[in-house]
Amino acid sequence: MDSEAARNSKESLDLAFEMSNILDTGLDRHTISILIALSDLGFNPEALAALVKELPTFYSSSSSSSTVSSS
Amino acid sequence: MEDQKVIDLVKELVNRLLSQSQTPNPNQPISTNPNSSIDSTQFNHALRYAIRILSSRMTPSIASDEAAMAESIKRQLVTQGKSSEALTFADLYSKFASKTGPGSINNKWAVLYLLRVVSEDRKLANKQPNSTVSRGLPAIFDSQLSDNSRVSNDKEVGWSGGVLMVSKDPDNMRDIAFREFANLLKEESEVSEEVLVRDVLYACQGIDGTYVKFDEIIDGYALYDSIKVPRATRIMVQKLCELGWLFRKVKGYISESMDRFPAKDVGTVGQAFCAALQDELTEYYKLLAVLEAQAMNPIPLVPETVTSGNYLSLRRLSVWFAEPVVKMRLMAVLVDICKVLRGGAMAGAIHMHAQHGDPLVHDFMKRLLRRVCSPLFEMVRSWVLEGELEDVFSEFFVVGQPVKAESLWREGYRLHPGMLPSFISPSLAQRILRTGKSINFLRVCCEDRGWADAATEAAAAAGTTTGRGGLGYGETDALELLVDEAAKRIDKHLLDVIYNRYKFKDHCLAIKQYLLLGQGDFVQYLMDIVGPELSEPANTISTFKLAGLLETAIRSSNAQYDDRDILDRLRVKMMPHNTGDRGWDVFSLEYDARVPLDTVFTESVMSRYLRIFNFLWKLRRVEHALISAWKTMKPNCITSRSFIKLQQAVKVKLLSTLRQCQVLWDEMNHFVSNLQYYIMFEVLEVSWSTLSNEMEAAKDLDDLLAAHEKYLHSIVEKSLLGERSQGLYDTLFVLFDLILRFRSLADRLYEGIYEVQARSTDDKKKLSRQLSSRSTEPGSWVSEGRKALTQHATKFLSSMSQELDDIGKKYSSLLTGFISELPVQQHIDLKFLLFRLDFTEFYSQSRPNT
Repeated sequence: MDSEAARNSKESLDLAFEMSNILDTGLDRHTISILIALSDLGFNPEALAALVKELPTFYSSSSSSSTVSSS
Repeated sequence: MEDQKVIDLVKELVNRLLSQSQTPNPNQPISTNPNSSIDSTQFNHALRYAIRILSSRMTPSIASDEAAMAESIKRQLVTQGKSSEALTFADLYSKFASKTGPGSINNKWAVLYLLRVVSEDRKLANKQPNSTVSRGLPAIFDSQLSDNSRVSNDKEVGWSGGVLMVSKDPDNMRDIAFREFANLLKEESEVSEEVLVRDVLYACQGIDGTYVKFDEIIDGYALYDSIKVPRATRIMVQKLCELGWLFRKVKGYISESMDRFPAKDVGTVGQAFCAALQDELTEYYKLLAVLEAQAMNPIPLVPETVTSGNYLSLRRLSVWFAEPVVKMRLMAVLVDICKVLRGGAMAGAIHMHAQHGDPLVHDFMKRLLRRVCSPLFEMVRSWVLEGELEDVFSEFFVVGQPVKAESLWREGYRLHPGMLPSFISPSLAQRILRTGKSINFLRVCCEDRGWADAATEAAAAAGTTTGRGGLGYGETDALELLVDEAAKRIDKHLLDVIYNRYKFKDHCLAIKQYLLLGQGDFVQYLMDIVGPELSEPANTISTFKLAGLLETAIRSSNAQYDDRDILDRLRVKMMPHNTGDRGWDVFSLEYDARVPLDTVFTESVMSRYLRIFNFLWKLRRVEHALISAWKTMKPNCITSRSFIKLQQAVKVKLLSTLRQCQVLWDEMNHFVSNLQYYIMFEVLEVSWSTLSNEMEAAKDLDDLLAAHEKYLHSIVEKSLLGERSQGLYDTLFVLFDLILRFRSLADRLYEGIYEVQARSTDDKKKLSRQLSSRSTEPGSWVSEGRKALTQHATKFLSSMSQELDDIGKKYSSLLTGFISELPVQQHIDLKFLLFRLDFTEFYSQSRPNT
């Protein structure tokens, strides 16, 4: 059972990764697996997508603000 | 546990994404910060932010349709010109979608959506770094946005569904927009939609709601004008309340009928109609109950709360009401029509409205009509199979009235065309009437019970039972079949009974033999015996004596071999007479036809027979008179012996008178015998054979009655008794009178001749005696006697011949007149009479103008 489940999940992940490559999302395999897990748990994919978009910029803006604040 | 796992996952994700941002990005300025480790405070910030985002949007803004999502992604790829990639994607998707079972992804749609959104974001981020766009309708927005971005790079203002963005907060923009919309709606109407919906539901049951009340002026349910609602809502409420108006009408009719019922104003059909309507209304109530339950749910104004269960808005209500409105309209139309109708007429009117092409209407009407017509069909069934007419409210199309047994057939029952429903054709109605009438006739007049078997046989043959039920509307064919079978069997049974048990044919024949003088020898005897009696004045004749004479006549002729029952019915009848009438004028025979045969031989029929009898009797009498005159006129030794004693002149006169008499007698005889022949054979026998054939072929009593009627009518017409031949009839009677006068004249003539003869013989005897006593004396005294005799004879003869002349002339003129009128008669058979009478064209030649 477990092996089948593991195989399934691996294959699904591979497929999802390939699809994301086609769509040019820039996500790597590990991130995709986390995102899939979160969406399966019931989170809104829109929210997750927003996260994916905002967090990198958040860091840069917050890092600039933090550098401002720190200085 | 779950939450911990979630938190771990989120942390992991944040970590990865943050570290990802460290990787070299061509559009971003190359960070000079080489540190690969992430600051913990920043990490916490990021984490908190991530959690906030994740918890703010719980439901997606578009419907979750996996296949549609894949399709739109494919299309997107194609429009971007990457068709080969689109094919690869399709292939991958199909494999992806087929993965089910443990370890696979459950929410595939979410994954696809996620990938798509991320890829779009990336594209947008690559094209325009400073975009503040909110999601909603990605497909349309992409192209628009890319156009806009190319035009103006610095524009801060973006699009978002047409609602102005007030805050820069991208997450809550949609919420804010919807909240604004809700506020706007609330301002517009005082009354919330739920309350209106509930009021409309009340109105549709005929109850006034809080805001929607029945307005007498406009005759309908409407919102008060004072309540502020948008016009659209007002109009919609009005439209929905049409159902309430219709419902009120139908319910009003039902309760009115129920009230009138004890007064016996509403018939069984009306009651059935009300019952059927109430059943339909029960269905309607069920629907309303379901809708009311749904109306309890609040109407959501914001799409996020769409999972609050089935709610009811005015629009949804109008969809629900579409079908009930059609049905209710139908019922209201029927109610309008049936307000003044009842019984079969009501069923007919409803049937006319069932001729509709729409299957919904058709089924509905069929159901309704089945209920409505069941009392009618029940009545038909019991009438046809049992002859019972149980019609308290007079709704059936067969109406009965109490009459005597003998007119039961003709007048006891008739059709009431007003109550005949239109799906029963008139010929079927006639058959129904006849069948029930036959059963009643059999039961009452013939005291016969055999029809019950015939009825059960008929029912079995038609496939139904003699019990209740079994037939309904829409089965008019089955009804026709049942009626036909019943009619066939019962008619046959009735005719069997009439012919065999009551010997109709025998009686008819007997009437012909006796009343129409068919039994020649009997008539001859009767005339011989009764003749002298009848010459007396009418008031001295006793019926009793005549009856005895009748009996004698019967016994001495072949009539004695007839059935005793028939002979019993024959009796003498003396018609009412005035003074001066002879027996001949008032004598007649009568045949007593009892129930049930007096249905055929009614009073009027018997009076016609009587008329014919009188005519025939007169004709016979004349014939009889002529024959007896012939008896005296037969040449015999008395007359043919030449009168030696008489002078030549007298002899000549005598001979010529005799000859005149003979000639006249011949003419009259010719006329009478031809007339007699014509009446006997060409009228009576021919009509009788036609009647016999028709009696064989008759299928029911109506046919028999018609055949007999025809028979009588033809006899009356052909024997000049009809109204058109009135003139001829009078002439004929004058001729008969003349003939009778002639007869008495002839009698007198011959008497006179015998007397002369006797006297002359007497004289001769005397003479011979005298001669024997005084043979030498010349006959001066004898010659004296002879002269007196001659004188007397001459006088007598001349008067006779004058009278004969007189009669002869009158007779000729009348006869020629009679014959000249014959060709203009309508009846073709009279031409045969003319032919016979005027065989040698003697009369037509004697007429000057022919």
